[in-house]
Amino acid sequence: MASLLQPDRVVYLVRGEKKIRAPLSQLYFCRYCSELRSLECVSHEVDSHYCPSCLENMPSAEAKLKKNRCANCFDCPCCMHTLSTRATNIPAPLPDDPTKTAMKKAYYLACGFCRWTSRDVGMADKSVASGGWQEPENPHTQRINKLIEYYQQLAHREKQDRDRKKMARRRQCMPLAFSQHTIHVVEKYGLGTRLQRQRPGAPISSLSGLSLKEGEEQKDITIEPAPALDEVEPLPEDCYSRPISLPEVTTLRQRLLQPDFQPAGASQLHPRHKHLLMKRSLRCRKCEHNLSKPEFNPTSIKFKIQLVAVSYIPEVRIMSIPNLRNMKESQVLLTLTNPVENITHVTLAPCEDDDPDDINSTAKVVVPGKQLVLAGKDAAAEYDELAEPQDFQDDPDVVAFRKSNKIGFFIKVIPQKEEDADVTVSFKIRHDFRNLAAPVRPSEEGGAAAAPAPAESIWLTHHVELRLGPLAP
Amino acid sequence: MADKPNPQKSVKIAAGAVVCVESEIRGDVTIGPRTVVHPKARIIAEAGPIVIGEGNLIEEQALIINGYPENITPESEVEPKTMTIGMNNVFEVGCVSQALKIGDNNVIESKADVGRNVILTSGCIIGAFCQVNTCEVIPENTVIYGSGCMRRVQTERPQDHRSSSDRLHTRRVSPPGPEEVQRRA
Repeated sequence: MASLLQPDRVVYLVRGEKKIRAPLSQLYFCRYCSELRSLECVSHEVDSHYCPSCLENMPSAEAKLKKNRCANCFDCPCCMHTLSTRATNIPAPLPDDPTKTAMKKAYYLACGFCRWTSRDVGMADKSVASGGWQEPENPHTQRINKLIEYYQQLAHREKQDRDRKKMARRRQCMPLAFSQHTIHVVEKYGLGTRLQRQRPGAPISSLSGLSLKEGEEQKDITIEPAPALDEVEPLPEDCYSRPISLPEVTTLRQRLLQPDFQPAGASQLHPRHKHLLMKRSLRCRKCEHNLSKPEFNPTSIKFKIQLVAVSYIPEVRIMSIPNLRNMKESQVLLTLTNPVENITHVTLAPCEDDDPDDINSTAKVVVPGKQLVLAGKDAAAEYDELAEPQDFQDDPDVVAFRKSNKIGFFIKVIPQKEEDADVTVSFKIRHDFRNLAAPVRPSEEGGAAAAPAPAESIWLTHHVELRLGPLAP
Repeated sequence: MADKPNPQKSVKIAAGAVVCVESEIRGDVTIGPRTVVHPKARIIAEAGPIVIGEGNLIEEQALIINGYPENITPESEVEPKTMTIGMNNVFEVGCVSQALKIGDNNVIESKADVGRNVILTSGCIIGAFCQVNTCEVIPENTVIYGSGCMRRVQTERPQDHRSSSDRLHTRRVSPPGPEEVQRRA
């Protein structure tokens, strides 16, 4: 019955800009706002760039220069796997004595997955193991660079016009230095903060990376428009009659991964440098606190800040479902796990009849009315054999079992729809949450002698939906 | 019905072959010299004899079976067809091969499944977990790879597996092949 533990069986509702239903393992909890957050209601910021195969860290400026590609690693143009360097011994004449031949090492690139080698496209073997491989030069590079320069200048001019207008509106009460500071702030944060959210119709200067650095001279660059040709190269005569040899034609995916060349023949597929991946940090949009901040080192998977929902909110999981029959009451066994170290009190409540959040449920549910008490999560419980089990007066009709910080409880489900492919129930779960992040109010005595004020607990309510599967035949 | 005389069911292993005792060989099987059969490999000749050539490498849990096609019962009269396997082929761990005719220098990678009506020529590589059960002759130097069994033609012959298995034999049969260098982690 591992399918009952699938994460999308139990979803929690996130009340953000959009109402999102997601399993608790994919949600974050902002403990300053005391609300659940999903990936769509947080802002994503780039932390650092790294190469997935050589795990080399790269500062953002260098990454931008190299177009977000690693300098050492290559991708197979055929199957996009990482290429490895292989060596062969070839006889080569010695530099001192042309008559004698010695074995020299020659290196070539090969893919372990699809057996592509660099010799397939005609790339000669190199004598150095790394650094000898060059990407082919794009014939249109010069024209593209000229166009980029022209647009950079245009963007800079637009930004200056906008700043001038802003200063004129403020009637020159702000010094000139403020607008310079704004430019620096804008360049550094780009599209990350709310100040720079892309609005339709916004000028091009809001795209980071396109604005000129301070101090560059403004020269007037003019570009020629692209010439329109009357004559187009005709198709070859045997275009329709020549049989296609499928191994020689590139697939669309192979072609589009190299947008500057888009080769049609497999013999022109050159390897490209590997794309860098990035580590991102998440920030709550309302209070601007960090929800998730990874470590800088690419080899480390830990987080500096990790405010995930599963470590703050009790988690509901389905344990067993009996045969569900239409209009008949069945008992479903659920488990509730307490992630925090103090005792949590949980109350369940069915959804009201006119609840706007209750759109998916296809069955009526009767939840236990009493308050459920969950013991705290004790990390040393498995080693501490002498600990006395805490005595909670459990109603055996409601609580099936209790094990450290987890309890199993029953709910009664009455499916309402005939021929239901997926019986869905929803209810509200209300629990107390001790906010340890709230600022401690300084006591009147002050100083180190005063004890910190106890953290207050607040009550949080979440809307939970469960998918119980089809009716029994 | 008169009983058919039992065909000779014996295993003939040539000199120089290395066949492990833990492997399972049933039926009329001929194994050529310098072939290595690893433990837990299974070579089963049910519906006809199997002839394996020289220098092959049959790794653990590989299954080479000359079995009855699915819609024919063992009792009916069927002409026994010989399964021929050429030289220097590699049957990697866990693969299943029912192809009746396999040429030289092919590699059938781990957990691949080759059907009965496939004919492998030479230099073919059937990638890991690829199931090839079409009714065709695979052209030379074809590589079948990926979950969609994509195909491409390679220009390089696969690495000679004997360069690594040479340590099992005292005499060198071919110059050492290309070596792996600087596998990036």
